[in-house]
Amino acid sequence: MIEVVLNDRLGKKVRVKCNEDDTIGDLKKLVAAQTGTKAEKIRIQKWYNIYKDHITLRDYEIHDGMGLELYYN
Amino acid sequence: MANRTDPAAKSIHGTNPQNLVEKILRSKIYQNTYWKEQCFGLTAETLVDKAMELDHLGGTYGGNRKPTPFMCLVMKMLQIQPEKDIVVEFIKNEDYKYVRVLGAFYMRLTGSVTDVYQYLEPLYNDYRKLRRKLPDGKFCLTHVDELIDELLTRDYSCDVALPRVQKRWTLEASGILEPRRSALEEDFEEEEEKEEDEQAMDAYEADTHEKDYYHGRSPTRERDRDRKRDSYRYHRDRDYDRDYGRGRERDRDRDRERDRDRDRERDRDRDRDRHRARDEKDYGRERERERDRDGRERERRDRDRGRRRSRSRSRSRDRRERDREDGDYRKRRARGSVSPRRRPEEDGGAREEPRRKKEKKEKKSDGTDHPDPEIAEANRLRASLGLAPLKL
Repeated sequence: MIEVVLNDRLGKKVRVKCNEDDTIGDLKKLVAAQTGTKAEKIRIQKWYNIYKDHITLRDYEIHDGMGLELYYN
Repeated sequence: MANRTDPAAKSIHGTNPQNLVEKILRSKIYQNTYWKEQCFGLTAETLVDKAMELDHLGGTYGGNRKPTPFMCLVMKMLQIQPEKDIVVEFIKNEDYKYVRVLGAFYMRLTGSVTDVYQYLEPLYNDYRKLRRKLPDGKFCLTHVDELIDELLTRDYSCDVALPRVQKRWTLEASGILEPRRSALEEDFEEEEEKEEDEQAMDAYEADTHEKDYYHGRSPTRERDRDRKRDSYRYHRDRDYDRDYGRGRERDRDRDRERDRDRDRERDRDRDRDRHRARDEKDYGRERERERDRDGRERERRDRDRGRRRSRSRSRSRDRRERDREDGDYRKRRARGSVSPRRRPEEDGGAREEPRRKKEKKEKKSDGTDHPDPEIAEANRLRASLGLAPLKL
């Protein structure tokens, strides 16, 4: 189980517990449940790399405590 | 300039019509090439030409959320705000299904509640296929009536938040709309009559001394039937739509639904009987003894029936037997309270093991009873979203 921090730099900072083999799509659903936006409206990036929905966190080498950028579609 | 709403346009739902689409999506549409090239200076007439060229619908797709041409045309309609007659013409035209869908979408966004139901419900009868672009860029197949259902029941479609409409039954209750008449109502009634005939046959074969009671129940059964019909109309219509063309599947589905109906009616009768039994306790005690005896017989019969069902070749014969037994069951259970028909415990040995295993698995897989409350809550959320629990 890892904990990932998502920050949208506009006031929304969210810590989400998830498994390493969850996909980004699942992570978006968890974030949507915590922030109240819709899961389809969320975009997770790291600098200019937009993370795709079907790839797991382990494949993106996202580790415990790592920070991701939260944007909206 | 190019993106301003027509100054003569009225406000929709209390706001600038273009604001019905969210800010981010709106900016994406304004930056889109299709919008800039093709949608510049469109009027209602030229918009029709563009709409006829559409070949798919959808919201946004891809990593950077590119809008589809369908989305751009919706935005253009919101910008120029065509008259209601024109929109109704869009919806009524039969030749171009994407024009129809475009009109329906615009009507859903801008129309009043009565208009929405009035103009969109006839489109439930349109079964044509549509191509829909998914957010990941691939296409999927959908149908016009599926899309209309989505528009009328959900509040989010094609990446646009749809304005709230009241549920149909609220409008029916306040008399603004009439109850919905489906195009398949005649078929539904035909089948109701067939069911009635079968049950009338059972009643005829019943014992004479039970006959008074049976007659006494018929008005309530009619009430049940009406209630059943109304509540089932939506579900069954949709099933019927899809199965209508395929002969054998239709029969199978219809049979299955009929059995389900009968089960449900039996449950309702049972509930009613249970309430009545509370008043007749002494009478019930004698009945209990009889019921136990009957219960054992019934369980044995259930088991036999189960075995027979798997082996019998002609399903109609089996069903008639089941009907007859159901008729007996209903009559026997008439006055006393009814215990739910439980599976016989004689098979208990073989069944207890899988039950125990299932309990053990439930404890393991759910994770919602973890001692740490944070993790338990996280697992509960994950279970509600359909994800596996956290691996600690």
